[in-house]
Amino acid sequence: MSIYDSSMIPKKMPQEGYLKDKLWLYVPFFGAVLLICAVILMLPYETVYVRDEAYLGMFLATVCVCVAIFMLGTLYNVLIWMHGKGISGSAEKRLMRVLLKSLKFFLSRRFGRAASVFLKDALYLSKLKDRSALRWLMHLLILGGFAIMFALDLAVTVSLDLLKYEPMIRDDGWAKLWLRDFGFDLVGTMILLGLLIAAVRRFVFKPKIVRTELPDAASILFLLAVVLGGFILEGMGIAGKILGHQSGNEYSFMGYAFSLLTPESLGDYYDQAWLIHGVMSALLIAYIPFSKLFHMIATPIAIEADRMLPQREVG
Amino acid sequence: MRKLDISKLDVLALMRYDACTRCGECTATCPTGGEAQDVELVTPRGKILRLREFYRAQYGLKAKLLGPRMIPDDQLKELAGRSYECTICGQCKTVCPAHLDTIEMWENMREFFVANGLGPLPAHESIVKSIENYDNPWMQPRTQRTRWSKRIEKEVKIKDVLKEHAEVLYFVGCTATYDPNIKEMAVNSAKVLGAAKIDFGTLGNEEGCCGSTLLRTGLLDSGRKTALRNIERFEKAAPSIMVASCAGCYKTIRQDYPRIGKVGARMVHITQFVNELVSTGKIKLAKRVNGTVTYHDPCHLGRHNHLYDEPRKILEAIPGIRVVEMERTREESRCCGAGGGVKTAFPELAEKIASLRVADAEGTGADMLVTSCPFCYQSLKAAIETKGSKLRMMDLMELLAASCTE
Repeated sequence: MSIYDSSMIPKKMPQEGYLKDKLWLYVPFFGAVLLICAVILMLPYETVYVRDEAYLGMFLATVCVCVAIFMLGTLYNVLIWMHGKGISGSAEKRLMRVLLKSLKFFLSRRFGRAASVFLKDALYLSKLKDRSALRWLMHLLILGGFAIMFALDLAVTVSLDLLKYEPMIRDDGWAKLWLRDFGFDLVGTMILLGLLIAAVRRFVFKPKIVRTELPDAASILFLLAVVLGGFILEGMGIAGKILGHQSGNEYSFMGYAFSLLTPESLGDYYDQAWLIHGVMSALLIAYIPFSKLFHMIATPIAIEADRMLPQREVG
Repeated sequence: MRKLDISKLDVLALMRYDACTRCGECTATCPTGGEAQDVELVTPRGKILRLREFYRAQYGLKAKLLGPRMIPDDQLKELAGRSYECTICGQCKTVCPAHLDTIEMWENMREFFVANGLGPLPAHESIVKSIENYDNPWMQPRTQRTRWSKRIEKEVKIKDVLKEHAEVLYFVGCTATYDPNIKEMAVNSAKVLGAAKIDFGTLGNEEGCCGSTLLRTGLLDSGRKTALRNIERFEKAAPSIMVASCAGCYKTIRQDYPRIGKVGARMVHITQFVNELVSTGKIKLAKRVNGTVTYHDPCHLGRHNHLYDEPRKILEAIPGIRVVEMERTREESRCCGAGGGVKTAFPELAEKIASLRVADAEGTGADMLVTSCPFCYQSLKAAIETKGSKLRMMDLMELLAASCTE
C-alpha cells in the first residue's frame, strides 16, 4: 500500500472549507508575495558587485521564488496552529482573526511590554544565559549576527538604491568602509564563530543531550556554507581587484584574510561564485519553514503568546 | 492507520511544538525519559518531535500537495503510551531555554490522545471508574470519608461545613482520607488547625475527588464534571478560605477549577496557611523536635505553583530542627516519580525515580525526609523501605503537630 493514500485526505475540519474564508486569506497573501517580489525586481542594483546582468537576473528570479516558498511554507505552518482548539471557525478565518488582533495589539499600550519580553527572552536569551554560558554565546552570536546583518542589509539597500547616499557608494566613503566593508565582515565573523562553536560541540564533543539527525546537520552545514561562501567570495573579489574591492580592503578584514589565500586568477570566476553564494542564501530562506530553523519564527511568537495571554494562577 | 484529529491540541501547544529548538536541555533532567530509563521518546524533545512529525504528515504543506501520510497504529500507540510515562513534574519547563510551558503541553497532549482513542492507559481505567462511581480513586465507599477524623473528634472540633458554616474549609483529599498509611496527614493537619483555634470544617462525606487524576490523564470531560460537583459544594459551604493539604488537590482547585467554574473562596495550601499562623504567632511552637531534616519540594507545589519558601519557613520555626538542602532543590528538585498517573501505570518506573530522590536525601546526611504531598510521601516512603534507608519519612504537618500540640 502506498504511504500516500488519497482516501486519507483530511475531510473538512469543523467549519472549514468556505471559499470566502480562503479568499480573505489567500488574496492578500498572494498580493503580499507579489508586492515583495515586485520591490525586489524593481530596485536599481546600480552598485551591486556582480558584473554580468544575466547573473543578477537569475539571482533575482531565484530570490523571488525562494521568498514565495518561504512565505507559503510559513503560512502552512501557521495554518496548522490554527487547527488547534481555542479559537472557532475555519483555519483560514482563525488566522485572519489572529492577524487582525495582533495588529490591534501592536498599536496598543501592551506593545511596550511585549517588546521588552521579545528583547529579553527571545533575542537576549536570558534563560539560556543562566543555564549555559557557552551555548548562550553560541546562539547569541548566530542570532545576533543574522539580526544585525538583516538590519545592515536593509540600511545599505535603502541608502544605496533609494537614497543614493554618496558615502555609502564611494570607495573611500565612511559608510562604505565602516558599514559595507567592516560591518558586514564583523557580523559575518560573529555568525561564523557561533556556527563553529555549534559544529565543534555537535560533531566533535557530542554531549549526550545533543541528538544529531539529518535536519540538525543540514541546518548547520547549510549556514556554514553560506557564511563561509560570503567570505570566500569577498576574498575572490579583493584578490581579483573587481569593482568595489579596489581600495580600503583592510576594513573587510575577513575578506582580506581570505584574499591572501586566493589566487588572483580566481577573480575571473567572481560572477559565477557570486551567483552560487546568492542562490544558496536564497535557498536558505526557502528552507527555513521546512527545517528546525523555523524556530526562529515560532519561538519568539510562542514566548510572546505565553507572556501576553492569561495564564494559570500560580502560588 | 488513522487520521489524527488535531482539533484537541491547543493552538498554543501547536505553536510550542514548532518553537522547540531540539536543543535537548530537557532530556538530561527528565526524571522518566532521561534519568530513569534513557529513552528518547519519553523525553520532552522526543515526544514533541514525534508528534509533530505525525501531524505535519497529515496537515502540512506536503500533505496538501501529495495527500496525507498514514501513521501506523502501533507507532501512534507507542507514542501515546510513552506520553503517559511522564510524571508532568515540570522540570522540562524549568530548563527549557525557549520558555515552553511544557506542563500545559503534556496535559494537552494526553487530552489529544484521549480524543483520538489512544488514551488513557488500561491501568488508569479502574481509577477512572472508581472516581465516576465512588467519587474517589480508591474504590472506597463515600460513607467512609470522614472515618479518618474519628480518632481526634474529641480533641479537635471539625465542622461539617454543609450543615454548619465555618470560616475555613479544609479540603482533605482522597489519599489522606482513605489510605491508612497516609491518613495521619489529615489527622495532623486538623490537629494543627485546631491548635491555632481556627474555625474550620470539611465537606464530610460529601467531599468529592478533586479530579486531578482525570485532568492529568487527559480525561477533561470527566474532570470537568467532577470539578463542577465540588464547585457546587463550595458554593453551598461558602467559606472565606479553602485549605488543602494535598498538593495535587491544591493545584487542581487553584489552577484548573477557575477555568471550569467560579470558585468564590481563596484557595491556599496548608503550608501557606500555617506559615501565616506561625509568623503571626497564632501557633505556638513550644516543644523541641530534634533532628536534621531535608525537604522534598512536591512538583505540584514547587514548579507548578512556586511555593518554595513557606514549607522551609515552617521547618525553620520548629525548635530543634536543622534544615539541610539536597543538591537538587526548589525549582531544580527531582520528582518523586508518582505524579501524572505514572505510579498507577508504571509502578516500577515510579519506584526507580523515587529511589533516586531518596539517594539525594541520603546525600545530605539528614535523618528525616520531609514533604507536604501525600503522593510524594507514599512514593518516597516506599522507596526508603525498599532501599533499607535509615531516613525517616515525615509529613511537614506531623513535625509541626509534634511541636505545637500536647
